[in-house]
Amino acid sequence: MTFAYSTYETLVVERRGPVGWLVNNRPDQLNAMNSRMRDELAVAWTELDADPDVRVIVHTGEGRAFQTGVDVAEIAGDGVGMERYRRSMEDFDLHFTAWHQGVTKPVITAVNGICAGGGFHWVADADIVIAAADAQFFDPHVSIGQVVSLEAIGLMRKMPVEAVMRMAFVGRHERMPAQRAYELGMVSEVVDPPERLRDAAQALAETIARNSPAAMAATKRALWRALEMGLTDACRAGAGDLVSLWGHPDQAEGPRAFAEKREPRWQVGPAEA
Amino acid sequence: MRADHRYPGYATLVVERRGPVGWLVFDRPDRGNAMDATMLAELERAWVDLDGDPAVRAIVTTGNGSAFQTGLDVVQLGRDPDALREQSRRTRRAELKLTAWHNGVWKPVIAAVNGTCAGGGLHFVADADIVIAASDATFLDPHVSVGQVTVFEAIALVRKSPMEPIVRMALAGRHERITARRAHQLGILSQVVDPPGDLRDAAQALAATVARNSPAAVAATKRALWGALEAGLTDACRAGARALVDMWGHPDQIEGPRAFTEKREPNWA
Repeated sequence: MTFAYSTYETLVVERRGPVGWLVNNRPDQLNAMNSRMRDELAVAWTELDADPDVRVIVHTGEGRAFQTGVDVAEIAGDGVGMERYRRSMEDFDLHFTAWHQGVTKPVITAVNGICAGGGFHWVADADIVIAAADAQFFDPHVSIGQVVSLEAIGLMRKMPVEAVMRMAFVGRHERMPAQRAYELGMVSEVVDPPERLRDAAQALAETIARNSPAAMAATKRALWRALEMGLTDACRAGAGDLVSLWGHPDQAEGPRAFAEKREPRWQVGPAEA
Repeated sequence: MRADHRYPGYATLVVERRGPVGWLVFDRPDRGNAMDATMLAELERAWVDLDGDPAVRAIVTTGNGSAFQTGLDVVQLGRDPDALREQSRRTRRAELKLTAWHNGVWKPVIAAVNGTCAGGGLHFVADADIVIAASDATFLDPHVSVGQVTVFEAIALVRKSPMEPIVRMALAGRHERITARRAHQLGILSQVVDPPGDLRDAAQALAATVARNSPAAVAATKRALWGALEAGLTDACRAGARALVDMWGHPDQIEGPRAFTEKREPNWA
């Protein structure tokens, strides 16, 4: 039985083999997030995480931008302004990234072009990030009188801080090329020519999909939780994740398949162990 | 570029303003710009002067001569330990007042490393928002080679850059240096200036660029990002979300998008 996805206006949500695709689809607005897109993202992450045929999720954008943050035209145009975000922001009750939604499957962000300002949310909150060779990164918030906060806070845990702060304080007056993002470890692969990005993302996702879903979910939980605490506490909590898989069928199947030189047959769906 | 204003009364520092950029220059070139008791006192005053001047939008720290900063003046420490007694007390209590971070300065700070940066000099790299360096600059931490412990500088640096190179530098002591090129690869700094003589022009240009952004948004951003180094990810995001919302309704927050749409430079409050 095939999982039925909702109908989306601002996103394309689909499955190709074991890979779920979430594509920002407002190319004429450089994939800026309006209220509709914000709400659709919440649903899309949940659906892709729930589809048992999806093992890995790729997030990319249509057109020449990956994502450029909040839709300023909507903010400026309808009299509601940023106030539409006040309640959820004050409560830090956000739902537009995989991390916000507690997605348990590995998420690959494939940056296809401009990634600006709020676009960094999906770089910071992804497990793996790759980029087209012509991708560009910059954070114009302070150049238009806005504060840089959540995106940079996430990035700072994951890469050298100086580079994040330089982007935050220089604002729109400077861009970081994909190659520098690769050197700094913000992305792990630069795809050249850029048109090959989606193929490269699909291939990487299929490779990851060969691993035990249960082991990856526990690993993801342990690593992200580690960003919440000091080293010893993180190791203590991680020990729980390690032990949680003992007795799981994948834990016996993995070594057996390795010994028999065959592809393992992982358990899909909730663990019965 | 000539200084628009020189703040008076400094013997070991040059403190001045060029356009919107405040300059804090270590000025004991024949002592590797090492910090003696006078410089320690003057540093605290310099941050107050630069932070208190509304014309200063961004601050550059650099050094005169062949060194950037080489830490505490061990010659004075040997000859006249009493002069540094106050400093010892502050060190014990982790109450240092050397850097912008120590002094609660929320204007953006660029360290422009002009040469050797050794030991306690690393405070000014660790605590800067942005770091650039002359191509012949080098970094080393000789503490353990002279029987001292490395603590504050490395603790901050391991939060901001890959850990292995920082620990290696701490343990190799004076017997090994990190080059500017390698520091750039590692993301300890974001720009190598070659030839080295162009460093101050590059720093002034970068600081002037930063100065074009909203001072209120820059200060709130700086508070949020440095505050984030204090907490776990979710707690940091929660605090960061408040910093974000606090800016809503500020005049810059409306002026910024308007200037962007009208393709003109913004007039910040």
